[in-house]
Amino acid sequence: MTEPGHPDGGSRIHETAGVPGTTAETVHTGSGRNRGRGGPVDSMTGRPVLTLRELSVDFPTPQGVVQAVRKLSLDVRLGRRVGFVGESGSGKTTTALAIMRMLADPGHVSGGTIDLGGVDMLKLSEEDMRLARLSRVAYIPQGAMNSLNPVMRVEQQLWDAISAHEGRRNRKELMRRSDEALDSVGLHPRTGRLHPHELSGGMKQRVCIALGMILRPELIIADEPTSALDVVTQRQVMQTLREAQALAGSGLILIGHDMGLMAQSVDELAVLRQGELVEYGDIRRILGNPGHPYTRALISSVPLVGGKSFLRPSSAREAPGSRRPAPLLTFDRVSKVYGKLTALHPLSFTLRGDVPKIISIVGQSGSGKSTLGSIVLGFTHPTAGAVRFEGRDLRRAGAAGKLGFRRDVQAVLQDPYACFNPFYRVRHALAYPYRRFGLARDEAHIRQRMEEVCRTVGLDPDLVLPRYPHQLSGGQRQRLIVARALMLSPKLLVADEPVSMVDASLRATILSNIYDLKDRFGISILYITHDLATAYHVSDYVMVLYRGRVVEAGPPGQVIGNPEHPYTRLLVDSIPWPDPDRPWGGSAGPEPAADHAHVADAPFAYRGSVEGFELVTR
Amino acid sequence: MSRAAPRDRRRDRREPPATDASDQEPVDIPRKAARLRIPPGYLVNRLLTLLLTIWIAATLIWIIPRLSPVDPADIMLGRMAAGAGAVQDADRILDQLRESFGLNDPLIVQYVKYLRNIVLFDFGLSTATFPTKVSALIARALPWTLGLMVLSLLITFFIGNLLGALMVWSHSPKLVRIAIPAAMVFTSIPPILSGLLLMWIFAAKLQWFPLAGAYGLTVEPGWDWAFAASVLHHGFLPALSIVIVTFGFWALGMRGMMITVQGEDYVRLAEAKGLRPRTVLYGYMIRNAILPQITAFALKIGLLVAGQVLVERIFAYNGMGKLLYDAILDQDFPVIQGVSYVIILMTALAVFLVDLAYPLIDPRIRHGSDG
Amino acid sequence: MTGVTTRAARRRMRRFDNPWTNPKLFCGAGLLLAIVALGLLGRLLWDLDLVFTGSAPLKLPPIGFENLRGQPGVPAHPIGTDGSGRDMLALIAIGAPNTLFVGFLASLIGMGAGIVLGFTAGFVGGRTDDTIRVLSDVMITIPPLLILVVFQSAFGDVSLTIMALLIAGFAWQSPTRLIRAQVLSMKQSGYVMMARLSGAPTHHIMFREMLPNLVPYLFGSFIANVTTSIVTAVGLEVLGLGPQRIPTLGRTIYDAISAGALIQNLWWWWGIPTVLLAVMFIGLLLVNLGLDEISNPRLRRLGR
Repeated sequence: MTEPGHPDGGSRIHETAGVPGTTAETVHTGSGRNRGRGGPVDSMTGRPVLTLRELSVDFPTPQGVVQAVRKLSLDVRLGRRVGFVGESGSGKTTTALAIMRMLADPGHVSGGTIDLGGVDMLKLSEEDMRLARLSRVAYIPQGAMNSLNPVMRVEQQLWDAISAHEGRRNRKELMRRSDEALDSVGLHPRTGRLHPHELSGGMKQRVCIALGMILRPELIIADEPTSALDVVTQRQVMQTLREAQALAGSGLILIGHDMGLMAQSVDELAVLRQGELVEYGDIRRILGNPGHPYTRALISSVPLVGGKSFLRPSSAREAPGSRRPAPLLTFDRVSKVYGKLTALHPLSFTLRGDVPKIISIVGQSGSGKSTLGSIVLGFTHPTAGAVRFEGRDLRRAGAAGKLGFRRDVQAVLQDPYACFNPFYRVRHALAYPYRRFGLARDEAHIRQRMEEVCRTVGLDPDLVLPRYPHQLSGGQRQRLIVARALMLSPKLLVADEPVSMVDASLRATILSNIYDLKDRFGISILYITHDLATAYHVSDYVMVLYRGRVVEAGPPGQVIGNPEHPYTRLLVDSIPWPDPDRPWGGSAGPEPAADHAHVADAPFAYRGSVEGFELVTR
Repeated sequence: MSRAAPRDRRRDRREPPATDASDQEPVDIPRKAARLRIPPGYLVNRLLTLLLTIWIAATLIWIIPRLSPVDPADIMLGRMAAGAGAVQDADRILDQLRESFGLNDPLIVQYVKYLRNIVLFDFGLSTATFPTKVSALIARALPWTLGLMVLSLLITFFIGNLLGALMVWSHSPKLVRIAIPAAMVFTSIPPILSGLLLMWIFAAKLQWFPLAGAYGLTVEPGWDWAFAASVLHHGFLPALSIVIVTFGFWALGMRGMMITVQGEDYVRLAEAKGLRPRTVLYGYMIRNAILPQITAFALKIGLLVAGQVLVERIFAYNGMGKLLYDAILDQDFPVIQGVSYVIILMTALAVFLVDLAYPLIDPRIRHGSDG
Repeated sequence: MTGVTTRAARRRMRRFDNPWTNPKLFCGAGLLLAIVALGLLGRLLWDLDLVFTGSAPLKLPPIGFENLRGQPGVPAHPIGTDGSGRDMLALIAIGAPNTLFVGFLASLIGMGAGIVLGFTAGFVGGRTDDTIRVLSDVMITIPPLLILVVFQSAFGDVSLTIMALLIAGFAWQSPTRLIRAQVLSMKQSGYVMMARLSGAPTHHIMFREMLPNLVPYLFGSFIANVTTSIVTAVGLEVLGLGPQRIPTLGRTIYDAISAGALIQNLWWWWGIPTVLLAVMFIGLLLVNLGLDEISNPRLRRLGR
């Protein structure tokens, strides 16, 4: 179904009802003319392996029919990589599942065609569809952590896939093929003999890629393959995926929400919003000249190291500061050991707190940064050393001292979904501590303060406060937690990965809310994150943690803008930039894990200090 | 869709933080596939639990009668003395008997003796059928109970879990998905009631099956067809009355687990791999959903055994249930103690075996993540 | 057309959302209430002295039936009499609520103990936790029936309340395990962290933050425990133990079987209590399924 005679055959987008005219126009002229001539982009001549025409997917619900995908039309060509980008609920995963004919029950394709290499997928029998899965179109679902059967060895999960399509094969052949497949994604064949729980997240995702490639399908659909992985692993996995796809020469659909990752990984981009294709075309064209405001918003939501700050230029006035008799927070050779694992090596620093500062602690998972946060909050007791808040050791404080400490040290935690008790309306989370700390004069006062702080973080109090948590989005909840912190006006705030579970478009808003806490309300902040780009913009000082040790510390412009320690450099290099021309994990870069020894042995890099914060560097 | 999002995110968070940049190779890859073995720490743990269970049960059985205001020893000795017909010398005989049963020793001595004896399966002599050894009575009844129990428990577990799985599986026939839930309502009834009903219909009314006993009075126990047929004929109704009502418990549990497993990513990937629906059902869904069911089996076994004791009593089946019931009627205390102890011991051993088997079917336990 | 179907679908959905309109819960509670009503109405409208031995002719069938001796049922004893001349209606009007009472009381006590032990284990941790955990693991594998058999054959006759207390001694393990596990997982949850950050004292975290979220589990566990307790009680009664002089359903079945009611075709003697017990168990199961559906939305989708 290549539609040679079709007047519109050249373009890969079709005018649909919901797409604003201008956008469609751009795409038409942009890609329609290039087609067939080779054009500036090569491999455009590839035969389309997947053709979607006017694809619509409906989900009947009690509230009426939800159109999860509306009249989607596009082509994926052999050897090409197409990105589907959009927020959760935009229909990108639904489209993938529709292609696989694996839509969850009430959902169904209500219109349009899905053509895979000349075969109408919607007309296949159940059995033919089963055979087409994996052998012709492979789907790597989201959540690599749980994608493998926990009770089966890895290789068995590759073998049953082969035998399901090719019938029984002898063990030797199966073994050879599974070893080859694992080898092709950079895994040792012995990995196949392990059970999934013995593998790390990155390894599991590689196994999934090996699985997707094992029958050489024409099309691979990878649904957020790296969403659960940290930046370094993400880069490695994406590299593997690209290499494997290039080797097989198949088409690839990459589903995601991160424009930077897309820029580094795909040739063409489809931007989806509420089930509609709002923009579609060559990735360079879209990044260089986005046609739709939504695309523009998506691109600008990616924080860049060194780029324009996403923070609102604050009122120039210096944040309210005051002289303190004792430093706000002191770490005196604090360390934490769990059994054989040292989560945090002895660390000493002093945060004066006279002038509010944002101190960023960056590192991958397992670097000890969350342990550090937990120690500051008093949830974890250090194995050795002393933590002093305003000169007093919390562990020796009485009940009143402890309550005072609780009031003065607050937190914004990672998971906004878990932070509200599902039993209560969300106002409970704000009103309870206010009352508990004796800050409230009366009920009216609480109410007034709650409304005030909600407005400050940009939420409508009447709309939000009387709701139950499950009725709010993750972004709204996280903003409420920030509002809660603001309401209590603590002296120190620990923000532990505050935006890692929030949709990309909201991250900037929440971070600027948090930034405002320092800037306008004079709260010192410990910002714990794996995201160097946001740390770059938000913080006054950065400490890079690697296996429980600070390996580099200094002002963000130095540490992140111009890293010295190889580990910091690795982290910075792993950030996917929304710029296809910037090298990212190409064949040029050294295999990151290969130079592990050299990362571990590199000396501590001290990149300068900032007033009000002293790191003791032995 | 929107519901699933937070769940997935939370799950990602639970990932152990040990994944460093060392993603290329695991810390150590075993040279060979891990052998099926039980981690020693786990084994010791389970063994201690087993011993503790037996000890607590034995102690309870020993201590309870001694707390009673009515001395059961007096009752049973009184009955024995009365049975002997010696009326004038009752007190002296009673005293002699007390002496011979060691009841005049200090309590702690009695307790230690008792513990030693039960380890040797020596529960003393039956007072009702004096001087038969209690252990001999139990040895005679035990095979019947074991046979009936192993058979009915396994059949129930198998059928129940299979039906529970089929209730959820999207490829099962519509009939299964509608009929079983309806039938499930009746499976809340304990086996004793279903036993009564079955007995009335098939034994009393239709007379297809015998009313009582484990084999016919006319057949001689032995390894021949006539006897085997008689045993099957007699065992059918008791087994059926257990099976038809307890499968529902497993089916319900399995249904719940299957619903959870159905939403797992690995099931979705299995489907995306183009596996046959049956392979997905058995190898991916049931294989994982059965794990908590096996744990539940270990927890539930006590109640199931108790249910069976009652069924045996109704059907006057020559097993432990009937032995226990007769002993209660006769106030034959050593037998009550012995039977209770042996049944509890059997239960504890069954739990122990299930616990031992568990690491063999769940690799995550096998690798000692949960010692 | 589509409007109609979606409205019907919407109505169906709404029916599940409100716990009080869950059909299973509703039916189950109805059955249980019917048994309670039987007891109450029986006390008001029927002469309960007929429960004493010899107060009525022997072995009369229910109205409309004949017994083996050819005697028809009489209106004075609408559902017959038993082998020792007790009126069946009076018997069940007293016996059925008694059986239910034992189950609920035992489960209530077990639940209370479970809440205390579960919270203690989850919060105190350390040795206390180990002790409670091991003890509940051990006790859960011991069949209560057998220990109770030993107890009752040693102590002789007991009252209903004592029997409930005895059974409660074996009804605390599963709530303890359940609550302990839930408490441990909730302790790590974000909202408990937030409560700790809010300076909440331990009792606030236990009873205001955690307990409300445990309610569906507690209810489910409670009902399951009622079932188990009744099964144990009936089991004891059928073995001829338990209260000797107070009518219960299990005791009636025991008398019937001992008197050979099955062979003599006195089906009403054992059949009526059996059916009542079955109704009780079905009611409890339905309540439990209903609660399950309310607390676990995923089950609802399959709830036909």
